[in-house]
Amino acid sequence: MAGDSPKKIFKKGIWDDNPIFKQVVGICSALAVTNLMLNSLIMGLGLIFVTAFSELTVSIIRKFTPKHIRMMVQVLIISVYVIIVDIFLKAYYPEMSKALGPYVGLIITNCIIMGRCEGYAQNNPPLNSFLDGIASGLGYTIILLAISFIRELFGFGTIFGYRVLGDWWTNWTIMVMPPAAFFILGVIVWWARSRTTEEEKEGGAIN
Amino acid sequence: MKKSFSFPIIFMIIITAFFTLILAYLNYVTTDAIAFNEETDLRKTLLYVFDIEVPSEDPKVIEEVFNQYVGKEETGDETIYFIKEGEEITGYAFPVGGTALWGTVQGYVAISEDYSQLLGIDFVSHSETPGLGGRISEDWFKEQFRGLDLTQAQDGQYIIYKPAPGGNVDAIAGATQTSNSVSKFLNEDIFEFINRKGGSR
Repeated sequence: MAGDSPKKIFKKGIWDDNPIFKQVVGICSALAVTNLMLNSLIMGLGLIFVTAFSELTVSIIRKFTPKHIRMMVQVLIISVYVIIVDIFLKAYYPEMSKALGPYVGLIITNCIIMGRCEGYAQNNPPLNSFLDGIASGLGYTIILLAISFIRELFGFGTIFGYRVLGDWWTNWTIMVMPPAAFFILGVIVWWARSRTTEEEKEGGAIN
Repeated sequence: MKKSFSFPIIFMIIITAFFTLILAYLNYVTTDAIAFNEETDLRKTLLYVFDIEVPSEDPKVIEEVFNQYVGKEETGDETIYFIKEGEEITGYAFPVGGTALWGTVQGYVAISEDYSQLLGIDFVSHSETPGLGGRISEDWFKEQFRGLDLTQAQDGQYIIYKPAPGGNVDAIAGATQTSNSVSKFLNEDIFEFINRKGGSR
């Protein structure tokens, strides 16, 4: 296990075991913050930071942590990093903190972090765990950006706040509302899975 | 590792204390920055409702301009801001708020010193649908309230959406609930402020 190469870790995090369309975790925030691309990007960066450092910390202390209280320890570590992100945004990016509102604090409820801490960091050396956190976070961020690209383009006619569709464009209200994220996410999961069915049949990933 | 009773407890206490210490420190060093950001936000809002142009986005400049024009007056449990040109007070700003479609909307309204004109409105927090009710915080909606005449209003109906008789402001298409809630609490709060403040007028 210790021999996981960075390339393998990233391939797993971004495609083979992508948190969103393979493991289907972290869906709530994928639906909530994807109305604007900038929100998605900041959310993604926040999650990458929290996942990577939580995994690193969990992995460093994994040998001393009594097994039956490991969940408590993980939750504690995750919440510490989430609070750090929250404080950091409030102090240095107040606009962003306002835009994301309660979602920053809710990073802690993102199943990806706990899932990776429990499933990977608990049994792997610190550096690998750290990379795994970045990879999983990247996989999550890419999907969020894909969803928000479609939603912001059709819902506001803009991309990252820049107007790309002219005045003739009528905004699709449905794209701004949460249901749109459901439809787009569904299509993305469908597309991704249809491309990987054969690998799964050969006895691959989780199901 | 053998299963001991006390070790997990001690371990948990140590690790909690360690991380809490880190957070406490971070919180301590950023308190001032966060408080300053919040003040800057409020200053921006107030300068906006008073329609004062700020030459830059720099918090320091905003603070300077703010201190030059705006003063503060505490009355009971509410804080009222006033704008002065020279020594003369030319307008008041006060907090308004109420419930809209999804949650509470809060903001500030500025009216002229003789209560005849609405100078401007701004919203500091709301949880309306982005792209629909959320458009109350867009400039085109807020700018409509600038210079609205308050003397012709009857029964405290200062804000009436077009095309109703006497209408003076456009509502947001597709966000009737939000629009109506906003005009309702604006009317109520302005009416209350003028009555309380103006008394006999």
